[in-house]
Amino acid sequence: MTIMMPAKDEAVLARRDAIIAALRKLVPGEGVISSAAEMLPYESDGFTAYRQPPMVVVLPETTAQVSTVLKYCHDNGIKVVPRGSGTSLSGGALPLADAVLLGMGKFKRVREIDFDNRAVVVEPGVTNLAISQGVAHAGFYYAPDPSSQIACSIGGNVAENSGGVHSLKYGMTTNNLLGCEIVLMNGEIIRIGGKKAEPSGYDLLGIITGSEGLLGVVTEVTVRILQKPETARALMIGFAEVEAAGQCVADVIGAGIIPGGMEMMDRPAIHAAEAFVHAGYPLDVDALLIVELDGPAVEVDELIKRVEAIALKCGSTTCQISESEQQRLLFWSGRKAAFPAVGRISPDYLCMDGTIPRAALPLVLRRMKEMSAKYGLGVANVFHAGDGNLHPLILYDANKEDEMEKAEAFGADILRLCVEVGGVLTGEHGVGIEKRDLMPEMFNEIDLNQQQRIKCAFDAQGLLNPGKVFPTLHRCAELGRVHVHGGKLAFPDLPRF
Amino acid sequence: MDTLKVRDAQDVEAAVRAAIASEQPLEILGHGSKRSIGQPVATNAVLDLSALNAVTSYEPNELILTVQAGAPFADVLALLDTKNQQFSFEPMNTSRLLGTPDVGTIGGAISAGLAGPRRIQAGGARDHLLGVHAVSGFGESFKAGGRVVKNVTGYDVCKLITGAWGTLAVMTEVTLKVMPRAEAERTLILRGLDDIAANRAMTAALGSPYDISGAAHLPGSALRTVQGPLGEIAAADQSVTLIRLEGITASASSRAASLSKLLQSYGAAEIIEDSQSAALWADIRDVVPFAASGPRAMWPVWRIVCPPASGGKLGQEIARRSQGEVVYDWGGGLIWAALPPSADAQAPQLRKLVDAAGGHATLIRAPDDVRRVVDVFHPQAPGVAALGERVRKSFDPRNILNRGRMSRSLSV
Ligand SMILES: Cc1cc2nc3c(=O)[nH]c(=O)nc-3n(C[C@H](O)[C@H](O)[C@H](O)COP(=O)(O)OP(=O)(O)OC[C@H]3O[C@@H](n4cnc5c(N)ncnc54)[C@H](O)[C@@H]3O)c2cc1C
Ligand SMILES: Cc1cc2nc3c(=O)[nH]c(=O)nc-3n(C[C@H](O)[C@H](O)[C@H](O)COP(=O)(O)OP(=O)(O)OC[C@H]3O[C@@H](n4cnc5c(N)ncnc54)[C@H](O)[C@@H]3O)c2cc1C
Repeated sequence: MTIMMPAKDEAVLARRDAIIAALRKLVPGEGVISSAAEMLPYESDGFTAYRQPPMVVVLPETTAQVSTVLKYCHDNGIKVVPRGSGTSLSGGALPLADAVLLGMGKFKRVREIDFDNRAVVVEPGVTNLAISQGVAHAGFYYAPDPSSQIACSIGGNVAENSGGVHSLKYGMTTNNLLGCEIVLMNGEIIRIGGKKAEPSGYDLLGIITGSEGLLGVVTEVTVRILQKPETARALMIGFAEVEAAGQCVADVIGAGIIPGGMEMMDRPAIHAAEAFVHAGYPLDVDALLIVELDGPAVEVDELIKRVEAIALKCGSTTCQISESEQQRLLFWSGRKAAFPAVGRISPDYLCMDGTIPRAALPLVLRRMKEMSAKYGLGVANVFHAGDGNLHPLILYDANKEDEMEKAEAFGADILRLCVEVGGVLTGEHGVGIEKRDLMPEMFNEIDLNQQQRIKCAFDAQGLLNPGKVFPTLHRCAELGRVHVHGGKLAFPDLPRF
Repeated sequence: MDTLKVRDAQDVEAAVRAAIASEQPLEILGHGSKRSIGQPVATNAVLDLSALNAVTSYEPNELILTVQAGAPFADVLALLDTKNQQFSFEPMNTSRLLGTPDVGTIGGAISAGLAGPRRIQAGGARDHLLGVHAVSGFGESFKAGGRVVKNVTGYDVCKLITGAWGTLAVMTEVTLKVMPRAEAERTLILRGLDDIAANRAMTAALGSPYDISGAAHLPGSALRTVQGPLGEIAAADQSVTLIRLEGITASASSRAASLSKLLQSYGAAEIIEDSQSAALWADIRDVVPFAASGPRAMWPVWRIVCPPASGGKLGQEIARRSQGEVVYDWGGGLIWAALPPSADAQAPQLRKLVDAAGGHATLIRAPDDVRRVVDVFHPQAPGVAALGERVRKSFDPRNILNRGRMSRSLSV
């Protein structure tokens, strides 16, 4: 383990039995899990390289229970790690040895479907896909579609500001969230927003979204739903060179076309996916683009033609256009199975997640190839090309000495490169513990201190999910000090009126 | 009045630090076009950002624009125009409503966060601010966000700063997402519907797959004296309900036809196109029926956000009880209400109705003495208000920036 977690609070651990007994009173029945065997499923999330059993698992069923558990922990100085379905790829839901793991899996009810206001109110444990399924009979769906949508919870989506293939056109969670109920670390229950377009006052909903479980526990979520587009068709376009594919992405968007999805795979990913699902992908290309257009049939037909023409101009070597729903799904099947497909060609892989300006794509892919040679590890690329969100999969074998460390170092180099070309450390998986120590690549100390002051406004003792996102933990009192130098007018040369 | 015209971020830092040291709050100013919105600010020292007016970079193919916060809005719109791009949140121009000169800065627009009709489809200003450089009330320059659309690195501080009316930090540079302008637009006009029926028609349109980018309703009485494009389509005392579709030409036309069919029980729709349609929506965006040059110049104006499907009922009730006028945007989710003048802009009665409907109301236009006795921004539940105040303090513990602008209790 190269990533350190905050020092364990031995005093809390010494009180473990008493704490468990107290929690059992707050959440009766089977809501408190404390045996090592039963806690096993909770000891990691999707970032499986790191494992840590929690001190105890608590599974509340009501907002009132969440509130009393948090208040108890607050009053007794006990850390809490919230957890949805545990699919986080950045270790956001990784337990701490001296913390309560607060599982939100029992919050499973759809509370209200309001078609007139195009809003659905759900509990946070409802899966992303279940929301779309719950409104499908009326032609509606919930747009953000992380690939983990069958499993991941909407509460986790809010905490991670999750997105998916549709995000290019329809936005991420933050753009589709109307309101939520959260419980603060001190047990206070706060409601923000609702079925209206925007809340009043400061945009607290905006700051909670993507806060990785550090600001509050989400206990209810109101999302906006959309009517499904009339049709969708996809193009599958091959390019002999990655540069040409990158140019095609830029030109499509530059032409004012915002596809419903625009995904790219590089040669290793194409080969792995084709071997796995036989989607009919061309094997002699260096890059494959899948572009989906959605909307009324006339629009889709017209845009398909425009995209095809742009691709040709950029030097595409193959271009297939889906003629049926079945064919469209076939095009996607390889992309959707890309991760497991790569899993078949390598014992282990590390899935990275960074965003770059679209124009930097060829440069970044070239540099990754060089790094791959340097570290002696393969890399396959699948990514959300339309918004420059890369998912390099670094291939390694955990059983071979040093390979995991090498893979981690390779990954860190990739993320540094993303920042260097004007991009960011994470486009959708969050910082968690995975990218925590890389935060200074993007933000200086003042930037990070300002973010941590916001944390203090929500959780003054820093008990909620510590050790995630921020490389250094500060005390709120120290962050709150204003440093005034001199105090005399420091700018005599400024123009005054 | 002491006005400091800052030239760069360092100047802003120095000014804020000096303000902290002398315990003198600062009023943050772009062009001052929205100075009359919010609670009156408790200071006589002004930080003028209009000299921070450079365009740092514009990359049309990346759909990204970076400008200094004091860049004139009009210049930036003209720049985007050269590449046929736009801010898709369609920010409103408040000059006609407030009767101020037609000026304004990007920083002011983001701080005010007032999105126009396309809010329902493309999101608000908060959805388009990707990154920011700003100076906090600690006198420190910091940045947040980045220059790419998909970014979850750290807290989304840009969201907090948007719509904060300069009470959290002074923006010095912003990066915004821009979007291609649509090739074509079509507006369906339905005539003579009452507010409730219009609300239902808009709800049906917005619940259709036709990707509506504007849905507004203007009762006949509000249109009576309106001039210009909106005035021209208004017939004697008859309401109009307008639904906009944008996109490539073939699509806009076909969706307009499908939508007409869907809405036929509400009457036969007229369809207007492109520039004629655009002119109408600019009027709706800028709330021309209540313009400061019009007959209701002296009436206070409220901006009410509520669940869209209940807008018609709420608006009707407000108009009836206050003897005022209302117009609707966002499919009923945004109500602009102009009420006959009174010492408190009828705030208690109005807020009671709005609260019951699950909405909130902001007083956008009213004389200083009214704004001094009324909460301009909607009072929040105690827990939310306290949290908001802690968040404000986390940016500006000494309450130096725009002291009291968003909260009457902080103004003294
Ligand atoms: C195969 C696979 C594919 C994926 N594809 C995508 C993708 O396309 N796009 C994408 O964005 N992500 C993707 N992910 C990542 C992951 O699914 C998302 O981040 C998801 O939102 C996590 O939801 P969860 O319920 O599993 O949360 P968890 O993993 O349980 O928790 C994630 C974080 O949210 C916090 N949290 C969870 N619930 C709450 C709550 N109720 N209140 C407060 N904080 C809470 C946790 O503390 C933690 O920090 C993928 C993951 C996998 C395994
Ligand atoms: C031709 C034309 C077209 C226009 N079209 C639109 C349009 O479509 N949409 C639109 O929104 N506007 C438009 N505007 C401008 C708009 O009307 C506003 O005037 C403008 O956005 C507000 O800017 P301001 O600098 O005057 O604000 P001010 O009144 O100076 O400031 C408004 C608020 O923001 C705060 N503030 C200002 N600058 C900063 C900063 N840098 N950091 C932190 N807080 C700050 C202030 O303290 C205040 O609370 C247009 C203007 C012109 C000339």
